[in-house]
Amino acid sequence: MTKSAIPRLAVAALATALLAGCAAPKNPDPRDPWEGFNRGVYQFNDTVDRALFKPVAQAYDYVTPNPVQSCVHNMFLNLGDLWAAANSMLQGRGHDFVNTVGRFLFNTTMGVGGCFDVATANGAPRIPNDFGTTLGVWGFDQGPYLVLPILGSSTVRDGVGRAGDFAGNIASASQIDNVRLRNSLWGLEVVDTRASLLDATDTVDRVALDPYSFVRDAYLQRRASLLRTKIGDDTLPDYGDDAKLPDYGDDDDAKPAAPASTAPAAAPAK
Amino acid sequence: MPFSAISLLQRLFLACTLAVAATAVQAQSKPNPNGAPDQFVLAAANEALNVLKTDGSVKSGDLARINQVVDQYVLPYVDFEKTTRLAAGRYWRQADARQRKALAEAFRGTLIRTYSGALTRVDAGTAIKLLPFRGDANADDVVVRSTISQPNGQPVHVDYRLGKEAGLGWRIYDLNVEGIWLIENYRNQFAQQINQNGIDGLIDALNQRNK
Repeated sequence: MTKSAIPRLAVAALATALLAGCAAPKNPDPRDPWEGFNRGVYQFNDTVDRALFKPVAQAYDYVTPNPVQSCVHNMFLNLGDLWAAANSMLQGRGHDFVNTVGRFLFNTTMGVGGCFDVATANGAPRIPNDFGTTLGVWGFDQGPYLVLPILGSSTVRDGVGRAGDFAGNIASASQIDNVRLRNSLWGLEVVDTRASLLDATDTVDRVALDPYSFVRDAYLQRRASLLRTKIGDDTLPDYGDDAKLPDYGDDDDAKPAAPASTAPAAAPAK
Repeated sequence: MPFSAISLLQRLFLACTLAVAATAVQAQSKPNPNGAPDQFVLAAANEALNVLKTDGSVKSGDLARINQVVDQYVLPYVDFEKTTRLAAGRYWRQADARQRKALAEAFRGTLIRTYSGALTRVDAGTAIKLLPFRGDANADDVVVRSTISQPNGQPVHVDYRLGKEAGLGWRIYDLNVEGIWLIENYRNQFAQQINQNGIDGLIDALNQRNK
């Protein structure tokens, strides 16, 4: 196969997956109006993942000793702290900003270039932050759920946020002049990220009734809770206590699925 | 002869010390469902962690043994029917008694599989720490927040939601890992399955995955 055939094949596969996914969903969720399209991309991502990313990550996981893996993972997280700190700044969270910069300095020096997360061990856990959350703090609505090719779960807001994250990380990565080293590091980061998710994706495979909606609901919940910790009580920066509890009231007729309840369990299994 | 007498005394002493220590540990860690909710969660979690740390067959991922541990050390503190009822939402009312029981049973199998992977990763350094309890201690629906830490890993933020029931005291019915509530994450999938194949279809789908 020639080199140029691979992207063409990928585009063809994506197009097929999209068409296949365009069947109308049976149980629409108001947060996911593009479910047909999203399911197509999800299918595509899953296929690519099983053929490429997952095997590579598994091989990496198999050949690399655990201490080395955690060292590599911690180093990438440590570099990521810089961009997280910048976002804390953009959100006006000075306390988080100072803490994250402090973590970066402590881990880079005492933690041997970020290999060991000594800051967490000393009671300063990582404060996750990203540009999608910043946009949320600034008041942008999250918009519909969106599955991006290769990158996976997102929303319209978080998709824009990811572009910002990408630019932010490029800004720190461009400090490395050696192109080959830079690209290798980027590849290692992709593999490391996928490897750190192996347990999570195995769990989804094992327990989800419908992996697509399982992943979607988990993603949206996680993002919402992250945003809540940022706009919550500012004097307690660890975890906002306004964590809104899900209301499991029996009569949630607000859900669009409600009309279907008139003819519910009667539908026979085919 | 005196030699063996001494060793006998020593053994007796040792046995007594161990017995006392064992009762002390038990008395200290027994979860009290009628006390403070956060202390109840802490005691229950520590009790389960101690078993997991010392039990080799759990570490090797023996599902039968994990089931047994969950039965003995987790389920008494969990209101499993409530978890299933809330996950099923309004469809619960359409289910008859047999379906309700079967659904709760099938869902339980799913959840054990969800967490058995995590349980095999418990090691000597795993520890649970309560975060300060916020909210009304007199309420009958509370959230206990905690972090679970592993050596050289990021601590995981876990919340427990508890309800107080007359006669039974506190019981856990929902769990939040890193911002993701368990029940919330199953509601859509349950509704989807029930809309397509009915309640029995959902029970079958869950059981299929339990095999």
